[in-house]
Amino acid sequence: MTSSIDEAARRWYSHPYNRPDFYRLAAGLSWLPRRLRLALARHIGRLAPSLMPAERAAVRKTMTRFTGATGSELDSLTVRVFTNFAMCFSDLVSTNRQPATRLPSHVGTVEGIERLATLSGGLISLTAHVGNWELAGRLLAGKSARPTHVVVAPDEARELHRWVRRDGEGVRFVSRSSPTVSLQLLAALRRGEVIGVQGDRALGTRGDVEVPFFGRPAPFPLGPFLLASAVGVPLLPAFCLLDAHHRYVVKVAEPLTARRGEEEEAARGWVAALEAIVREYPTQWFNFFDIWDPFDR
Amino acid sequence: MEIDKMLGELKDVMVERLKFEPSRLPELSLDTVLPKGIEGSLGLDSLDFIELSIGIEERFGFVIDETQDLDAHFQTLGTLIEYIRSRSVDR
Repeated sequence: MTSSIDEAARRWYSHPYNRPDFYRLAAGLSWLPRRLRLALARHIGRLAPSLMPAERAAVRKTMTRFTGATGSELDSLTVRVFTNFAMCFSDLVSTNRQPATRLPSHVGTVEGIERLATLSGGLISLTAHVGNWELAGRLLAGKSARPTHVVVAPDEARELHRWVRRDGEGVRFVSRSSPTVSLQLLAALRRGEVIGVQGDRALGTRGDVEVPFFGRPAPFPLGPFLLASAVGVPLLPAFCLLDAHHRYVVKVAEPLTARRGEEEEAARGWVAALEAIVREYPTQWFNFFDIWDPFDR
Repeated sequence: MEIDKMLGELKDVMVERLKFEPSRLPELSLDTVLPKGIEGSLGLDSLDFIELSIGIEERFGFVIDETQDLDAHFQTLGTLIEYIRSRSVDR
């Protein structure tokens, strides 16, 4: 058992975008045609690196490890991370909030969705802060025809909920602020429902495990795999990425199994799937901190 | 099942599943608070609650699949015993 954790010390994942003013501004522009809105987002994104030096430094370090780029190529990749993030952020508070029936119109390619049909009963949909991860959850919820519970971090500002966390249409957001949230999740899986969770940000607790990521150990959360092994349900890695034409590509990877005592092995399988996606879309990795040493802030 | 016997069974679950130190078992009572973040609690985190619920299911022979109100049942050892008793009556 662990002692109480000082949540304030866990705010390493926060960044200057995570403020109600930015959400309000982005949502206020949702009336613009999407093409124009994304062009504006790219423009703002290009300004961001100079306004956020700490995040810029973290992104450069990450891009170096992901791609080996240096010099002007590294500069370009760094800016693209911010412009891609700005576009996905803009969609998060506008496109994502459209009715579920309209969401598929923003998707260009879908790969591996048939894997969902082969799985019955409870399921853990595993994603990461890559591309428009929230849209991946909404799209899968529509495909699975099962209630989906999306696990989210306790926000610094409760006000953020109104901009991005819209319950309904089979999706329910569950904050992991309470330790007993795992009971709700276990019960939901037993009822054959879906849990959506992000598996890329370690919590800084005993529930983390070190797994090689781009050749160097990084902490990842073990919780999703312990949950899966406790109930005996599969984990399905799923991602939603922006393509060159600003349409989304949905990629569903091979399901993972976490047997009792083999949860760390399953976590390594997840990180391998994540690494493959990031290798393909390095500038849609939206963690603005050092993933290999996240608590050194 | 009597309350004292159920408390004993729960203590066994805590030792077996949560690796609770046996020498500390006398400290546990019906009023012992479980979740972390509450003054004087045992400090159970979300992973502990997974282990505890699995242990309870195995020991007492029912499946926890309620849609709500589980938090209140897992606040103290006393509320947990009441919950287990209610589920045992249901069966």
